[in-house]
Amino acid sequence: MLKQLGFVLDANRCLGCGACAKACELNHHLPPSLVWRTIRKVEDVTPEGIRRFYLSTACNHCANPECLRVCPRGAYSKRRNGIVTHSPEKCTGCKSCVVSCPFGAPKIHPTTGKACKCQLCYDRIEQGSTPYCLTACLTGALQLREIHTLALDNLTRLTAPLPSLRLTRPSVYFLPPRRVKL
Amino acid sequence: MLAKHQHICPRNCYDTCSLISTTYNGVLLSVEGNPAHDYTKGKLCPKAMSDIQKVYSPSRIRYPMRQRHRFSGDWERISWDEALEQIARTILRLKRTHGSTLPLALNKYSGNFGALHNAMEALFSGIGPTTRAIGSPCWSAGVDAQTIDFGRFRCSSPLDMAHAKLIWLWGVNPAWTAIHQMPIIFDAMERGTTVVCFDTHLSATAARSHRFIQVRPGTDGLLALAMGKVLAEENLLDPDLPNYTLGYHDFLAYLDSEIRVERAATITGVEADTIRDLAREYGQTHPACIWAGFGLQRYTNGGQTLRAIDALGALAGHIGEKGGGVQYGHFETWKFSGLGHTEPSQAKANPVVGKNPSDRALNINKFAAAALACTEPPVRMLWLAGRNPLSQDADLHLWQKLMNQLEFIVVSDLFLTRSAAAADIFLPVTTHYEHWDLHASYWHYWVGVNEPAIAPVGESKSDLEIAWRVSAKLNELEPGSCTFPTSGSEKETLLRELSPELLRLLRLQSPKEILLQPLKANLPPASWAQRQFATPSGRFEFRSEKAVQAGFPALPSYSPPLSPPPEAPLRLLTPHHSSALNSQSYPPDTIPNGYTLYVNPELAESYGLNEGAPAEIANDLGAVRVRLAFDLSIPRDVVIVYQHPAELKDSCLNVLLRSHTTDMGTIATGAPGLALNETFVCLRRLTGSVQRLSPNP
Repeated sequence: MLKQLGFVLDANRCLGCGACAKACELNHHLPPSLVWRTIRKVEDVTPEGIRRFYLSTACNHCANPECLRVCPRGAYSKRRNGIVTHSPEKCTGCKSCVVSCPFGAPKIHPTTGKACKCQLCYDRIEQGSTPYCLTACLTGALQLREIHTLALDNLTRLTAPLPSLRLTRPSVYFLPPRRVKL
Repeated sequence: MLAKHQHICPRNCYDTCSLISTTYNGVLLSVEGNPAHDYTKGKLCPKAMSDIQKVYSPSRIRYPMRQRHRFSGDWERISWDEALEQIARTILRLKRTHGSTLPLALNKYSGNFGALHNAMEALFSGIGPTTRAIGSPCWSAGVDAQTIDFGRFRCSSPLDMAHAKLIWLWGVNPAWTAIHQMPIIFDAMERGTTVVCFDTHLSATAARSHRFIQVRPGTDGLLALAMGKVLAEENLLDPDLPNYTLGYHDFLAYLDSEIRVERAATITGVEADTIRDLAREYGQTHPACIWAGFGLQRYTNGGQTLRAIDALGALAGHIGEKGGGVQYGHFETWKFSGLGHTEPSQAKANPVVGKNPSDRALNINKFAAAALACTEPPVRMLWLAGRNPLSQDADLHLWQKLMNQLEFIVVSDLFLTRSAAAADIFLPVTTHYEHWDLHASYWHYWVGVNEPAIAPVGESKSDLEIAWRVSAKLNELEPGSCTFPTSGSEKETLLRELSPELLRLLRLQSPKEILLQPLKANLPPASWAQRQFATPSGRFEFRSEKAVQAGFPALPSYSPPLSPPPEAPLRLLTPHHSSALNSQSYPPDTIPNGYTLYVNPELAESYGLNEGAPAEIANDLGAVRVRLAFDLSIPRDVVIVYQHPAELKDSCLNVLLRSHTTDMGTIATGAPGLALNETFVCLRRLTGSVQRLSPNP
């Protein structure tokens, strides 16, 4: 079986501080209007307690990437470690991927007009290093795992109940946070 | 050519991180955390990650400037020589006219906490007796409380918290304001430690804790006393109390006669059963650590609150425990020499050092009122350094009056702040990537140097360089008019700042060794482990003569916070946000578009206001426009604005702030603190014409 690297986020440890997103932005020299990683705040209140937590998300490096399927130029590829990469030299900026990704991961770069997205710092991983977002995470909330070997008992996939979610099989898991006793 | 340099983040922040910068041909490329530092651990908060943007920000001021009319924005670039000439001539003229140097005032605080930034104080001391802002806007009441109880103000190493089996985070929000503590807390939680967070609303830290205890603002001291009473009733007191404490019988008698758990429950909003559960858990779990934040002492009863929490820790036997204690902050490593011209800062829990004995000392929190009241001689010139009072202080109407009356105002800063708008002369200063400095933390035990990695941006100069140049100009115009040095080496000055005591704490043979890497002071990881205290009795003092001498009750006791007046029924809390530090914003050029007022949806509904609705908060001092956002965890009589800078054209939040001061602060910091959580406002809907709404019945 081929490998599949993916992000695992321990929502109990994520502070939503944005160091991951900032490190991504700075090290990939993204222009001010472009982000590859975003932080989402989630809140729910029940009689058992309150949950207020953050989800730090980027490209999910899906097992069946929709971007790869729809790209007319074959600009997307899936590496042997499961990372979905995009080659700007093949991209014409047609936006097929941008509109079809259920997670909105690919974005149009304002300067080049071509699509771009989180490449999971594949070059750093190949050199034995970790992605910038992980290096920056202060609490160890954001982790990178080989997800085929991951015990999935306590983990959930993305919360959005989209049918396409099952189809693309995102390689991202969350450890849901405990409720705070009031 | 690539080069690496070491730095210390100079912000007024618990973490005081150790940084490593990379430059290429003298240009700053990247900033990372220093992995050799056991607290920073190579990680940066997003604020420090914006540093390069800050250093090269297009809005940073690169040249000295003169403003033709205050608040006009009509600035012209001038040379350093012109600026220094005008400053020095004004100083000498005021001295001649008034026959005194007291008309010269300095107001400086924590814009940069580096030891060499005390050059400004030293410069003023070199001129003669001057008018000074003393005290601290921040932590004074708590510092005094701990000084009374323990005899000295110190805390355990933050790493010691890892040993706690129970952690109480009380009025502190490290998830936003001391982010490097969070992995220590999380790791402890994974090993089975229980974390309880006490706050007025569900803070980012409370949201990550096991349990959140919502306390009515300003009643934390009563909650602590009620839990102390439960400890006494249920026989959970430390049996060793007679051996190392003073006055515990008196204190227990006070609890017995004055404190009722049920009554405390009504006042604090914490149910009586919860108070009992919490007290039992705290009394039975060893070690148990309390981290008391600065927020809970920013009330008119703030010092008593801290004393009550200290006393609770002592009753349960947690003081001196490894992984226990009541942690607040410390000043043990701030033992700088004081630039030869200022009083050495040891034993002073106050970074505003260097008081000349004949200085005229004004409480920094009432500075405008006090400066206006000065006669014989009046205050005529003001220098603001590392301060932005027109944004951050109380009594802004008095500040405005003062600024209009003064003859001459100098502001040294990085940016054209709200206060800089009042300046006659603006002097551009360097960042911590452009000068030498020496830094200690008020939370962890590390001390380190800051090296310049790049040349000063534009014509900016360090505070030390500015002080030398002012002194040189003064002496050129009138030889002997300033005893502060007229030139020198920043690096050599830095090395002289390591006092013999600091060298001993850092286990250094010679000061030069500090240049190699940041060092951790040789202090016991857990404070008061021997239970030998620095009080007059050598014991932990429940009953304190020092407190009585300062005009307080001998025992920790509860006095209620202020109550809202009928016309301003809502308490306004203004905690720090993760993306701003006082009036500094991160990234540096992003000022949020207006203030957001966080309210309970039920409160908004009673005013007929929807989420996102524009509104106004107001009191007798002023009004500020806000946009409403909902937070279910905020009480219905409290509203929250996370403080951040505002655009100069907009009204700033502090127009609502009156200078109520805290009960304590004078013993250790020279003046009481600012009780800024005792600010009350009313809420108004913004329609065509502004009208005041009262809640629907």
